Amino acid sequence: MKYNPVSHSIVEKLIEICGEHYVFVDKEKLEPYTHDETPTEQFSHFPEVVVMPRDTGQVAQIMRLAYENGIPVTPRGAGSGLSGGAIPAYGGIVVSLDKMNKILEIDTQNMMVTVEPGVITNEVNEKVKELGLFFAGYPMSVETCFIGGNVAENAGGGRAVKYGVTDRYIMGLEVVLPDGEIISLGGKRVKDVTGYNLKQLFIGSEGTLGIVTKIIVKLLPLPSVIIDLLILFKNIKQAIQIVPKIMLETRIIPTSLEFMDQLSVQTSCQYLNEHLPYQEAGAMLLVEVDGNNQEVVEAEAETIGELCLEQGALEVYVADNYTTQERVWAVRRNIPEAFKVVSPQQSVEDIVVPISVIAVVVEEIQEIAQKYDILIPCYGHAGDGNLHATLVKNPRHSYKKWLEIEHQILLELYHLIKEKGGTISGEHGIGLKRKDYLSIVCSEEEINLMRKIKKTIDPKNIMNPGKIFEE
Amino acid sequence: MKIIVPIKQVPETSQVKINEETGTVIREGVENIINPLDLYAIELAIELREEQGGTITVISMGPPKAEIALREAIAMGADEAILLSGKEFAGSDTWATAYALATLIKKIQPFDLIVSGERATDGDTGQVGPGIASFLNLPLSTYTRKIESIDNQHIVVQRLIEEGSETLKMPLPALLTVVKEISYPRLPTLRGKQKARTIDIPVYSGEDIGIPEGEIGLKGSPTKVVKIYRPQITRKGTLLVVKDEKTLSESIDRLISFLEEKKIISF
Repeated sequence: MKYNPVSHSIVEKLIEICGEHYVFVDKEKLEPYTHDETPTEQFSHFPEVVVMPRDTGQVAQIMRLAYENGIPVTPRGAGSGLSGGAIPAYGGIVVSLDKMNKILEIDTQNMMVTVEPGVITNEVNEKVKELGLFFAGYPMSVETCFIGGNVAENAGGGRAVKYGVTDRYIMGLEVVLPDGEIISLGGKRVKDVTGYNLKQLFIGSEGTLGIVTKIIVKLLPLPSVIIDLLILFKNIKQAIQIVPKIMLETRIIPTSLEFMDQLSVQTSCQYLNEHLPYQEAGAMLLVEVDGNNQEVVEAEAETIGELCLEQGALEVYVADNYTTQERVWAVRRNIPEAFKVVSPQQSVEDIVVPISVIAVVVEEIQEIAQKYDILIPCYGHAGDGNLHATLVKNPRHSYKKWLEIEHQILLELYHLIKEKGGTISGEHGIGLKRKDYLSIVCSEEEINLMRKIKKTIDPKNIMNPGKIFEE
Repeated sequence: MKIIVPIKQVPETSQVKINEETGTVIREGVENIINPLDLYAIELAIELREEQGGTITVISMGPPKAEIALREAIAMGADEAILLSGKEFAGSDTWATAYALATLIKKIQPFDLIVSGERATDGDTGQVGPGIASFLNLPLSTYTRKIESIDNQHIVVQRLIEEGSETLKMPLPALLTVVKEISYPRLPTLRGKQKARTIDIPVYSGEDIGIPEGEIGLKGSPTKVVKIYRPQITRKGTLLVVKDEKTLSESIDRLISFLEEKKIISF
């Protein structure tokens, strides 16, 4: 694909649109926009210019300029993505949504908020907490990520077992299309079958179809009682086997059902100086239940805890206040950071399989790890069948060897997942990181249909090119 | 070995907001938890019991809701709990609180050891532990960071002091206030929670433990709060703006002479 460079006159025009404080071309200032949370050596790329529009009109003007001049545009939220989605693979313009960070309206009558894409996801919850409401999407990076990024990636997270993922709560979108047109999709309507569901098409499109500039988010009543159980098991098999049973036998749908293997817990505990008895436990589950009736929620937690003890759990810890809940969730949330300390060269995977086969898959992953002599800790959203198996480079291997075996292992892992009825990404997206592997799980026909959709909306292929699939 | 652990229920500080007018903490809607530093005292008591046998009694003075903190301590592994609660205790300062707790401890003696957190995260005085020791005429080790040995008669502890640490050998019974280094608090278990939910926690009034009215609460507190205010933190900064080569060298000169004036650097 041939694109035009960002010339001096393009920069001038961008300054005209956004103002000189909102356009950067200095290398030092561009550097933070070269990467996201994927390994920098493998995936980073410099943009030619970064612009920070402050309203939809400016975004539309930027897109029109880019469209007329054939310049690639990469939209960017907080840069906390894990698939390289915000990396400007072909240079060009990065549109940072940092300054579009206003909560525009809190509509209590309809229990919805209207926000700009640069609002930090957690801020929405902080704002509506007093009203007894919350946004049920819960990416693990909730304190840093932007809601626009959640929409672009259709983020999942720790509460999806009960509450589903981002798209369930997105009622309406305003989108600037690649040619600068502004469209409004959906609205404050619980039901809507007016034509094709285009809103859904944009959710999870990884910034390849347009730039979301306004989002209507549905809220739910905030549960007043939350109880977490941290359950220790002798081995992975025992822990995983209980996952489907928790829902089937107790008939309770937990808010979260997280899995952590011993290596994950140990690494995170050492990183946090937390003293959980991980030496004895081969695996742990973190189960959360919520509701509004103290006794009911306590009874649910107890039922789940008893089931686990009956099935041989070593211990069940109960966290029902802020101090203890922060402790148990900190262990889960800090696993990725902790492994970065072990080795910055790693590949955080995001496989998702039917929950009935998780146990087999985790076992086979450990076989792969042994075969290639690396560590593959597994942790993640077991209740969704979504595991962040993470390939961590063996410090004794050279970087060259790592790159070779990383590719080999990914091929092997993805074929295994495909065979088990799963897919290669549950919530992180394909982006740059997984596009070469898309054909393992998607048929040629399916990818071609995606290409046709992309071509219709973005005929010049300037909107976040190089992501998901090659043109 | 009989161990008593006085604990305090405090508002969870990361959620606390301050009333700007009165300077006091807004307690409504804020979750109450065990004073985080008391968790280390509870853990130490459990570890000593695991090693030595015996019982752990947690006690607290507070509103009826403080029972939640006591039940949490039971869930962690304490054996029993007692709550001092009633209007007569309201407004007690550290003196009156120490007096009330010491009186309760006298009532439930004998005991071998009292362990408490170094201070509470809300009042931040660190006075109640030493106060109890003083009322009961007990040997005291504050800022205790390590137990070196313990037998029926003596305890040898290391305590933090400004220059490092000192080792004390004290006869039992004694009182320790502990710092975080001493232990790592365990999480409450399901079995512990089940026990905690059903256990009977006696609630005593001032009268029950024989404290005459007027010796506790606001009336019995020598500390009088005259005014609570937030200290103003002011920083006067000078901004040196660099626009070009000329202003750059000017700014550097001004910065150097400023640092020389303040005797931070010299040539």
